Amino acid sequence: MRIRRALASDHAIGWTFAGPAVLLVIVFGLVPIAWSFLLSFQRSNLIAPPRFTGLDNYRYLLKDPTFREAARHTLLYTGLFVPISVVGSLFVAIALNRKIWFVRFYRLAVFVPVVASTIATSFMFLWLFDSTYGLANFVLGKVGLGPFGFFDSTHDALYSIVAMTVWGWIGFDVIIYLAALQGVPRELIEAAEIDGAGRWSVFRNIIVPWLGPATLLLIVWSSINALQLFDEVYFVTHGGPLHSTYVLVFYLFTLAFTQGVAGYATAIAYVLFVAILILTIIQFWIGKKVVHYSS
Amino acid sequence: MAGLTFDHVTKTFAQGTVAVNDLSLQIAEGEFMILVGPSGCGKTTALRMVAGLESITSGRIVIGDRVINDVSPRDRDIAMVFQNYALYPHMTVAKNLAFGLRQRKAPKEEIDRRVGEIADMLGLEGLLKRRPAELSGGQRQRVAMGRALVREPKAFLLDEPLSNLDAKLRVAMRAELKRLHQRLEITTIHVTHDQVEAMTLGDRIAVMNEGALQQLGDPQEVYDRPANLFVAGFIGSPPMNMLRGVVSRGRIEAGDLAVERPSLPDGEVVVGVRPEAFLIAPDGAASTELTVEIVEPLGDEVLVHGSIGGEPARSGAELDEELLPLERGSRARITARLDPSARPSPGDRLPLRVAPERVYVFDARTGTALT
Amino acid sequence: MSAETLADRITWPEESNAASPRPRRWLPFSPWHLFLVPFSLLMLLPLIWMVVTSLQTQKESLVFPPTLVPKSLEFSNYAHALSAAPFGRWFLNTAIVTVAVVISNLLLCSLAGYAFARIRFFGREVTFLALMATLMVPFPVVMIPTFLIVKALGMFDSLAALIVPNLVNVFGIFMLRQFFRTLPVELEEAARIDGASRLSVLFKIVLPLSLPALATLAVIQFMWTWNDFLWPLIAIFSERNFTLQLGLTVFQTSHTTNWPLLMAGNVMTMIPMLVLFLAAQRFFIRGIATTGLKG
Repeated sequence: MRIRRALASDHAIGWTFAGPAVLLVIVFGLVPIAWSFLLSFQRSNLIAPPRFTGLDNYRYLLKDPTFREAARHTLLYTGLFVPISVVGSLFVAIALNRKIWFVRFYRLAVFVPVVASTIATSFMFLWLFDSTYGLANFVLGKVGLGPFGFFDSTHDALYSIVAMTVWGWIGFDVIIYLAALQGVPRELIEAAEIDGAGRWSVFRNIIVPWLGPATLLLIVWSSINALQLFDEVYFVTHGGPLHSTYVLVFYLFTLAFTQGVAGYATAIAYVLFVAILILTIIQFWIGKKVVHYSS
Repeated sequence: MAGLTFDHVTKTFAQGTVAVNDLSLQIAEGEFMILVGPSGCGKTTALRMVAGLESITSGRIVIGDRVINDVSPRDRDIAMVFQNYALYPHMTVAKNLAFGLRQRKAPKEEIDRRVGEIADMLGLEGLLKRRPAELSGGQRQRVAMGRALVREPKAFLLDEPLSNLDAKLRVAMRAELKRLHQRLEITTIHVTHDQVEAMTLGDRIAVMNEGALQQLGDPQEVYDRPANLFVAGFIGSPPMNMLRGVVSRGRIEAGDLAVERPSLPDGEVVVGVRPEAFLIAPDGAASTELTVEIVEPLGDEVLVHGSIGGEPARSGAELDEELLPLERGSRARITARLDPSARPSPGDRLPLRVAPERVYVFDARTGTALT
Repeated sequence: MSAETLADRITWPEESNAASPRPRRWLPFSPWHLFLVPFSLLMLLPLIWMVVTSLQTQKESLVFPPTLVPKSLEFSNYAHALSAAPFGRWFLNTAIVTVAVVISNLLLCSLAGYAFARIRFFGREVTFLALMATLMVPFPVVMIPTFLIVKALGMFDSLAALIVPNLVNVFGIFMLRQFFRTLPVELEEAARIDGASRLSVLFKIVLPLSLPALATLAVIQFMWTWNDFLWPLIAIFSERNFTLQLGLTVFQTSHTTNWPLLMAGNVMTMIPMLVLFLAAQRFFIRGIATTGLKG
């Protein structure tokens, strides 16, 4: 009798503790997810009551040239951002994984950009990459490159955003890799050395496989974030010049909040969601085959 | 195959600790040498210096006819089995075994052949496609050994390879190791803290303590003629009983025990008697009387723990957490190995005697054995 | 090894003691510095350039090649920035929102995290799964319905709109639950036998032992909230309710070529985050490493 009462009160206490959080997540998490789904089948300008339009939004999406353009740019951006930041950060992490003077300072230097907000970073680069007075063209000119149009050039704009965001986020990847590198068991490297492996062989056969899980994580995480690029585009180029930096989230934001086409915007958002989900699953599936660590 | 020599090898770490102190040791080609001692005695450091995983502060290590002080581990042609096996987790057993050979660019047929042979020898044929995570402890240990042996190295180094196995498996693997060595005849250095393992496996054992070599010899020799107090207390289970004693005019007196040994100089000594040296004495011939406290029957013999007249002494080989404190005052706790027919029980007073030639004497100050 | 201890070790990487052929030293220092010094400079350059520019006059800045050293230190730019835009007000808004969100998260995520970690209650597993599922959904999917909800609740264009939807961050619940599970449960059981209520156990035993995890959560949540842009962009309309990030965008559009003034404003908005980072580096890094190592 007493036991049953005690257990019953465990349920009550559990729900009391978790209740507020769960309620908030329901209201601001689960409900919007479901509502979003519904909204994608409707026509709404966010003010008047929405009208149900069935699969119209999705049908339009298949033909919409702006959607295609935005998707192309988003994929191009992701295709550049992910490999550059993941591979680059590995190299930097290896360089930082040693006991040399000033290593603390170097570490700090790599990580400070991560702390700067997307807007602050964009602001800095807006000035740095100014095509007329910016420092970038000056420095590049010294080594015989440029001058570049950066954000003013339809050709350079997207790549400039890649450079800017790699700068801003590489520190995050470096930390993850550093943590993984520090976890390599010393004995494994010793065993490989005794087996006759030179430094490059140790790197290829022991360290790189060990970094498999971290690499997979970084690829997935970077991809998910890259596909949702928004802040920098909004602040620096507003999708331009001439739509050369028009990306998906920017498109759907404009649709919903500038043009009042919220239903369709939600449909795009859902397509993006599904794309991210599928990409993540594919990446994990490939990862399972290539990465052979069970911890 | 080659012999191995430590020539006045010393290792001092950056913080100032001297891990290995002037170690000189010669290992014959094909010999199975054991380095044994308590943790921190320097045995693992000595092994790692042979492997090249630690640099040598002073002295030389010679393998065959080559001084290998500055040679990097990969060029020394030695192989090592780590305590935690250090198997490459992402490679199959076959790839683990083949790794060393692939690094040396051996031709594929030879790699396959040697891997096959080793797998056969160690019973690993069925496991070749598995990964370390899927293997049991004993299987991993065999893979670790296989990986080392497949390269037919000049020296085979083992760092407490049996410590992580459960007791029964350990005994089986001990025999396996001995069989392997007899078959392959590779110069082997085996490091362990378990003196039973040392005694059963080694051709010769090197007892170490606090970085220094205490004694070198074959197991029986080290057991029967310990060079100092530490070796006497370390080798043998249950450990040798130690009593404080005094020598005066060729006569040793330690508590109740008295032995004539005319060659000894006067002075303070520590007297040691192994548990099996105590015998039940018929009336009149007893040297001492044991007040029985605890009896541990082992079937073919019985271990009797109790106290006799005398002052206890330490050998220096005791574990820090000594379970039963030595009794103070005029009685010393000892252990005796007796025939079970005596049927001793707690509280009994057993008359015991010791054959005089089985009494060990050590200098109380230096610990050296005195004859 | 736990993620926490791993993250702590990042400061001091290890090097091997191995024997090697006597190395030939071309340089009196490790060759890695040759890479790390220019690289660190590259990382810090945008920041340094931002500060340098903020101390120039407008005329000085609009030249090419750019003046690398300002003739005089025009701190007046900062004073002008403060009067040119309501930075003080924006700072206050951002601070209020961030502090509220961080405190709320610490409280609610602790309660919920503890419940999910230690209390057996009806529906625990399913609820937890549902919460985790929301982590998979990208923000663009939920932002439109969240906007509608916020409007319906009458919170639109107020700081409440920024606070309420972020009172609980599911990631925080996940992180604390993981951490609580690493604590020895015997401590809590002993306390309960001694008569403590679940609430007491949480606040008197578990939380004091969880300070590093709580600090890490606080620091990460602080950064996310302080730097957030997209949601405030949607939820806030009046300039007087802007956060610093939003404020920067209008600041930029109204002073387009007065770069020293603009950079001064940017510096000021970055300082709080930089100060926090330098003071709490450990926790930032730990936070990143834990994010990485959990999955």
